[in-house]
Amino acid sequence: MKTLHFQSVKGKGPEITEAIIAEEDIKSCKKEFFALHLVIEELAVNIADYAYSDGKDGYLDVLIDKTPEEITITFKDGGTPFNPLERKMPDLDLPLEERGIGGLGIFLTIKKMDEVKYDYRNRENILTIKKKISNE
Amino acid sequence: MENTFEVKKDGSVLNIVLNGQLATANAPALMEELNKYKDQGVTKVSFDATNLTYIASSGIRVVIFAKQKLGGNPEIEFINCNDEIFGVFEMTGIQNYINFIKK
Repeated sequence: MKTLHFQSVKGKGPEITEAIIAEEDIKSCKKEFFALHLVIEELAVNIADYAYSDGKDGYLDVLIDKTPEEITITFKDGGTPFNPLERKMPDLDLPLEERGIGGLGIFLTIKKMDEVKYDYRNRENILTIKKKISNE
Repeated sequence: MENTFEVKKDGSVLNIVLNGQLATANAPALMEELNKYKDQGVTKVSFDATNLTYIASSGIRVVIFAKQKLGGNPEIEFINCNDEIFGVFEMTGIQNYINFIKK
């Protein structure tokens, strides 16, 4: 298990994303890399922009656990309790002209991963994603 | 590869060359650039994705923005989009509103 700690997240979504995807455990998932990159970015940017509100900043811990069969990534922040899985999903039947732009990131996260779980424990938002990996 | 873009207007066609990634780090800047062409009679927005390797939801939002906010409901075109990027469009169901072209 590998842990990455970011002491300050405000506005740092892109650089946190780059730091996580540079980890060997992620880079070595060749076939799943695109999906992992996409989902890590959506979650890191959401936490960076919205977890700590009212001008506050805070931390993010990212735990990476890779087995031969799957990769599990856990995001923990001490921000406002927020379950992204309760967000309204985009209406995919609407024509492009009428589409809203909200909820797209979490929608892609759910689609791309095999499991997405949210917990609030010990005053932390805990979001866990799992993806099965192929060993080619 | 740098995550850059170039925007050029050729008649009523807006040509956008994308390089590297279209993601949170550069998508807002592209949206701002596109906003300069609002209500200027753009009939088609053509994204050249030959050198694009990755798109995030923030990049998808730029495409939605081009369709909805430029005025006149322009046609959207993607040139040489890779399979994984196409997969993201497909997942969001907007691939039917984009002309995908191989050159």
